[in-house]
Amino acid sequence: MPFYDLKSFITELEKQGQLLTITEQVMPEPDISAAACAINKLGDKSPALLFENIYGYHHAKIAMNIHGSWPNLAIAMGIAKNTPLKQQFFEFVKRYQNYPGEVEYRNQAPWQEVIIDKDINLFEILPLFRLNHGDGGFYIDKASIVSRDITASEPAKTQNVGMYRIEVKGKDSLGIQPVPAHDIALHLQRAEEQGLDLPIALTISNDPMISTVAAMPILYDQSEYAMAAALNGEPYPVVTTELTGLDVPWGSQYVLEGYVVSRYREAEGPFGEFTGHYSGGRRMPVIKVTKVSHRKNPIYEHLYLGMPWTEIDYLMGINTCAPIYVQLKQSFPEVEAVNALYTHGLIVIVSTKSRFAGFGKAVGNRVFTIPHGLGYAKIVIVVDETVDPFNLPQVMWAISTKFNPEFDLITLPGLSILPLDPASHPPGITTKMLIDATTPYPSEQHGHFSQELKDPITTDKWVEKLSNMLNAKQ
Amino acid sequence: MTKIKQPEMCPRCESLKPETLCHSPVKNAWIIYHCPVCFFTWRNTEPDFITDPAQYNPHFKFKPESIDTFDIMPAIPELKR
Ligand SMILES: [Zn+2]
Repeated sequence: MPFYDLKSFITELEKQGQLLTITEQVMPEPDISAAACAINKLGDKSPALLFENIYGYHHAKIAMNIHGSWPNLAIAMGIAKNTPLKQQFFEFVKRYQNYPGEVEYRNQAPWQEVIIDKDINLFEILPLFRLNHGDGGFYIDKASIVSRDITASEPAKTQNVGMYRIEVKGKDSLGIQPVPAHDIALHLQRAEEQGLDLPIALTISNDPMISTVAAMPILYDQSEYAMAAALNGEPYPVVTTELTGLDVPWGSQYVLEGYVVSRYREAEGPFGEFTGHYSGGRRMPVIKVTKVSHRKNPIYEHLYLGMPWTEIDYLMGINTCAPIYVQLKQSFPEVEAVNALYTHGLIVIVSTKSRFAGFGKAVGNRVFTIPHGLGYAKIVIVVDETVDPFNLPQVMWAISTKFNPEFDLITLPGLSILPLDPASHPPGITTKMLIDATTPYPSEQHGHFSQELKDPITTDKWVEKLSNMLNAKQ
Repeated sequence: MTKIKQPEMCPRCESLKPETLCHSPVKNAWIIYHCPVCFFTWRNTEPDFITDPAQYNPHFKFKPESIDTFDIMPAIPELKR
């Protein structure tokens, strides 16, 4: 059964041993971000963290690392928490292809319990704190943000839910980073061309699926709510807000409404990003918040990001692999699986069958031109279909034995990349690289691959038998 | 808690009039300050390499006038009406 709000998901995480509640008093800085950074150093099965006693606040509760491990993601999908990664990937792909699911409109939501529309002070409403030492302020980095192209003939059809970093710059003002490639930047551009402010809603502390979808590279005309419904396998409940008329999740804990100020930019940053580097300072748009709604006794959900791996790498993991896989497979049905887990797909590993000589290179080159590949895929590694791209030792084996730089390395200069890539030069431009580590296919002549080793014939049966025996012992 | 001294300058851009943004909901626990020039925000209980201008990481300091050289993102489009 899917989760429709954060509290029910936290309850389930606790039931399955995936929650640590911190009852001792902690300092807003540096304790909370340090603990959230630390929990990811303890392996890839880490629990979520719930802080219940924060110095200086009466009743604030802060949830961290909600999406920060493979078991947490499996539980959010309603599957066994120890489901292997490749299986989680295929389950995600299967549900992704059920798009669109049904969006269910409800009249009321629990987040309407408390309404603040004058003397807004976000520093009192939210237990804000600094994440990384070089950050220019206190950020909200796990909001699912709703906007539309208000100049379109049917704005509702352009509605987008995305996750963008937000700097809290004043009691009721926020800085936002709309990367030009993202949908909200297009909405803002259209509004600014007309000199109009852009209405916006920030939803905070949500059910786990909408965060997964908001952080996922889906197509411009796809609806995030219909995608969440497809992934949940149940209708996704939303409520239309009175002020901005935007549809927001029924299960949010906080909804902040306001507008992006038209044709205005202001200093923002730096902010420690998912690249493991700070972004530097830029002049970016500003949001005025005019209404805050929230549940009674809300939990504030936040996300630590820093030197990988951290929660954001899990949050942008499987959901990045799935669309790349489906889009690649439309061109090449031979593609077996795609691993784009590293730094949001700056490296993409594709496993594929080969059909003729040079096939691996053709598949690899396609990755550079799919929508997410344009801004992210900098290094593409192609391996045989027998190699599990999620199993890095196997990938390393393929590169170390199948790959000969003289024949199998392609570099492509002058291609686009997200400007946050610290190696890009100038920002936004890079050379890209393709490593073809597939077995050369006739009539490619190089190398000697006729005696590749195979596992003993009953190995698969023994894997199953031994794993059942181990499970029975637990 | 002893009386807190109002900071004289922003730890990051060193401009002179930082403002008090808010006080902790629990009385006298902490104060959040704000620089209206570079928008730096800090809590008085943070480590001294955040709160003290002399100890703030030099790689992250900048002068108020250099804000004008920051890139603009996204670009402001031409008016079409
Ligand atoms: Zn300053």
